[in-house]
Formats: sequence, structure tokens, C-alpha cells
Amino acid sequence: MTKLTQPTFAQPLTGRAGFFGRWRTMAGIALKMMFHEKLKLAGTLFGVVFAVVLGNFQSGTFLALLGKNRMFVENAKVDIWITPPGTRQFQGGKPLTDAQLNRARATEGVAWAEPLVLQTAQVQLPNGGSEPVSVVGARAPRYVGGPWNMVRGATTDLDQPNAMFFEDAEREKMGGLNLGSLREVSGHKVQVVGFTWGLLPFAPAYAFAEQGLAREILKIPPDQHTFLMVGVSPGADAIAVRERLQQVLPDTRVMTRAEYLHEILVYIITATQIGLSFGISTFMGLLVGLITVALSMFSSVIDNMRQFGTLKAIGSTNTDLARLLLVQAVLYGLIGTLVGLGMVSGMVSGMRNPQLTPVLPIEAFGISAVVMVGVCILASVLALLRLRKLEPAMVFR
Amino acid sequence: MSTPAIELKGLTKVYGEGALALQVLKGIDLTVPQGEFMMLVGPSGSGKTTLLSILGCVLSPSGGEGRLFGQPLHGRKERDLPAMRLSYIGFIFQGHNLMPSLTAEQNVAFPLELRGYTHRAALAEARTTLDAVGLADKLGRRPEELSGGQRQRVAVARAIAGRPPLILADEPTASLDAESGAQVSSLLKKLAVERGHTVMVVTHDNRIFHLADRIVNIEDGQLKQGEAA
Repeated sequence: MTKLTQPTFAQPLTGRAGFFGRWRTMAGIALKMMFHEKLKLAGTLFGVVFAVVLGNFQSGTFLALLGKNRMFVENAKVDIWITPPGTRQFQGGKPLTDAQLNRARATEGVAWAEPLVLQTAQVQLPNGGSEPVSVVGARAPRYVGGPWNMVRGATTDLDQPNAMFFEDAEREKMGGLNLGSLREVSGHKVQVVGFTWGLLPFAPAYAFAEQGLAREILKIPPDQHTFLMVGVSPGADAIAVRERLQQVLPDTRVMTRAEYLHEILVYIITATQIGLSFGISTFMGLLVGLITVALSMFSSVIDNMRQFGTLKAIGSTNTDLARLLLVQAVLYGLIGTLVGLGMVSGMVSGMRNPQLTPVLPIEAFGISAVVMVGVCILASVLALLRLRKLEPAMVFR
Repeated sequence: MSTPAIELKGLTKVYGEGALALQVLKGIDLTVPQGEFMMLVGPSGSGKTTLLSILGCVLSPSGGEGRLFGQPLHGRKERDLPAMRLSYIGFIFQGHNLMPSLTAEQNVAFPLELRGYTHRAALAEARTTLDAVGLADKLGRRPEELSGGQRQRVAVARAIAGRPPLILADEPTASLDAESGAQVSSLLKKLAVERGHTVMVVTHDNRIFHLADRIVNIEDGQLKQGEAA
């Protein structure tokens, strides 16, 4: 019994890992567990990648559709739009008048006001057929609302008689258009002096002409206009000018550029099924991702019950195990987002054409990461609930 | 005289309630002095595992009193138990229960990190302990790359690393062949003596009984008279 008096008996250990120490330890174990089970890792990541790809592809396509509706308002260098009453998208209605144009020009804070004409016309093709175009008539010399994204020619080329810009992506459709090609547009002979790229709204592609020519083609009298465009004086408040314009032009709808863009967005989401359709698809993608990750993490916990029991028996708390699952969930979310967005980027690059290329804005990376990490954390709750009930005594059974 | 490592008085454990209640431990009285290498033996269903679980602070007793190094086991809140385990106990499980994704070194180091060792210090202690169990050349091996005996030696290293005062071993030789079982048991005994651990081994393996300072029999939830080894 001499051992009882030995002074070298092991003594209770009083040290404890602090907050960061525990995070570090559990994160290390989480990481190693994740990458040890490669098949399970691949399965879980598949769910996240699927959700990211589907979600971003759907939202990217929605943004592309939205862009088609908003491209004119986005690109025209206009501060305030005066539109026919009830306007909710970029589409003409009851013509605006010269009197309204003059009242706008006389309003305080208005630097300039220009009319714009827009209407569909038919291009006669060499083979006898015809194709529609949306003829835009912008007034020289300012050419507000004139062509942008030009790949051939310059805006001032529209000063030439009977000159028009067409969409580069529709050259074949229009019977093989080239610079200098002659076409008949609604009975008027025009010459191609330039090309734009990607100006394909839902309506037929935009084709630009000086306003005089456009009016002849579209048979719009000189005192009638589709839209009125306003530039505010330097230092003037656009909102205040818009309010004044609305007061003097009660039979119109006056919107700032930002308001018009917002109105089109609201219209697309609320008045069409597009928003709902894409919203449901995106939600389904997220749901599939959530379920896949939840089941995968849950099955990982079930498969490794003894390991988790051992962790608990050795001294890990439920909070420690929550840390472990949280680290795994965050990593699943981040890695899956990175892989998924890489795939979407590749697909978007591969299908880049002016017809309908999904838009992948830089914000998509941040939003996807936040959403998917959130989804994965939510998915880990099921696994955590199971672990909370796990009795460490199971390791002795 | 120092505080006993284990002190149990009338300890009971009942599973279930009412008509379904099953009393597994029926008033255990036991005192284990510090430094003792004790073996607990008994047939299946005798209450060995339940007693080990209570001593391991993974199960609460239903009645009686229990103390580890003077600290009461009874009446403790569940959330306090992990801290008790970290302070007092090193575990050796029947199936080694090493984390398959961690190397031998990492398996030994991570409980130390929970005890407040820095990562570097934990790895250093893990290497020293693995050296002590003869696995200095297997630091980077994962459990799947080790033999059964080597895995159990890693488990021994994990239990003794940091020098917790009490080692609880649940059938440590059950999954090993005779030679490996003898080696692991002898190693555990040697290290326990050298490092001053109190050890309780639950076992059926009569080939290692000779290592015990004392063997305690448990049958039907009650301790029988102990015998000196």
C-alpha cells in the first residue's frame, strides 16, 4: 500500500480551453471529418451546387429578361421621362403633344427636353419576306435615346439621309445586312450606316434613325411623340423637377430614371407570371439543396454516432458539437457556392449571345454564399437535434 | 492519508419508472485509493458498465453517494459533467474509439486542447505520450493504417495524455489477440505506476488479472468480496 502515500499521484486537471480554443479544436475536427468521408462530402456538395446552379441560373435568366425590358431606360442618358398616363413599362401609349413638350421645356429646373418616337415597322427582305423592327427616332443633334453599344458606325452617321442603325445579331435574319446595305422599311428605302450589339428587347430589335426619317417611316406627325425625355439643370433636384413637371403635365406620367426602372421591375414581378415562375424555380432549387444537405449531415451523424459519443464522453459539450456542425455547414455552403458559381459562370460564358444570356452580377457571389451558408446551417439543425439527445454513455455499450 | 480516488456509499442506479423500473446497482460501497490499479469483473448484466458509466460521469446515479477525488458525483447538473470528465478522467474504450479522420498524434492531442493546451503544446504532449507507448514512429498514421494493438495503444496514450488522475478502461483487451492484449495491459499498468494514475479496468480477461492490485467482483448489482491479486 505504499502507493497511497506517494506524492506523485496524478492530480485533477484544472485547465480549460477558452472560447476561441474550443472553436479552433472543433473546427479542426470538423474539417478533418468532412474531408475524410469524401463520398459523403461529394454528395452533400452536390446538393449545394445544385441549388446554387439552379438558383443562379434562374435568377440570372430573370435578370436577363428584366434587362431586356429596362435596357432603353438604363442606357438613355435621361434624367426624367414623361410618358403616357398609366405607363408601367417601356412601351408607348397615347401620343404626347408638342404643347406638353413646350410646357416641359418651360418648367423650372429643366435644362432640355427632347421628344422620342418609337414604334414597330416592317423590314422588307430580299427574299420577299419581312421582319419587324422597333424603330427609334432620336432627334439630331443631341440624339438622346439614340443608339448605344455600337459595333460599327457612329451616332452622327444618322445625319446622312435615310440612314439607319440595325442590330448586329439580326444581320442574317434581316437578309444578310452589311454597312451600306439598302432595305425598305415600311415603304421607305433606308441605308445601313451602323450596327448595335445586344439591343434585343422583348419587342423586335431596336433600329435607330434620325427622328425626321423615323416619323416618315412610322407615319407619326411632327407634333406627336411617344415619350418626352428631360435633362435637369446642373444642381437641380431631379425629384423636385419631376414633381413640378407632373403638376404642369397632369395628363402624363412623369418618372425619374430610377423610378421608371423600378416601375418596370415591379410590373414584371407583379403583372406577369415571370417573377412567380422564376421565384418558384429558385425556391425549389434551394429546397432541394436544403433537403440534400440536411439528410446528408443527418446521415453523417447517424453513421458516426460512436465518434460523436466518444467526443462527448471525452469532454466535448453540446455547444462544442454545435460548433463542429456549424463549421461543417458553413464550409459546405461556401465550397458548394464556389463550385456552383464556377459552373454557372462557365455556362454563362459558353452561351454568351445577345438573345438571352443569364446575367451573373458580382453581387450573386456574395448573395449566393450568404443564402447557401444560411441554408446549410438550417440543414444542420436536424443533425444537431440528434446529437443533443446522444448519451455519452453509449460508448460503453 | 490522501483523498480516495473513488468513494461510493450505497450507490444505486434504477432505469425506468414504476412497474418497468429496473434496479441495476443495488447499493454499491467501494473505496479506491489513489494510485490503485483495480479490476472490476462480473458476468454480463451484472452492472459493470453502469458503474463504469457513473464513475465516468456520463451517467448520474439514482441514489446513494459517490465522490471522485472528493468531488460529489450525485446531484450534479448534466451540464457540469463534461468538465468533470476533462478534469479527472481518461477513457479507454473496448473498440478503441479513435477518430478515423485524425492521425494518431491528433487523436491524442485534441482532448488536451479541450483541457486548455495550446495546439502546439497539445501536439508536443501527444508526441511524448505516443513515444511512451512505443508509437513514436506512427504519429502521422490514421487508425486504419494501424494494427489493432497499435490502435489500442493510441487509445491508451489518449487516456493518459495530460495525466488525468483516473483512467477508466472498458474491456481494453476484448478486441485484441492474446499477445496484443497482454502487451497493452502491461503497458497500461507500467505507465499507471510510473505516472501515478488510478486505474479501474472492467474486464472478462482472466489473463490480465495478475496485473491488478485488487479485483472487485460485481454480481446482480452488488459488489462481492474483493480479492488481492
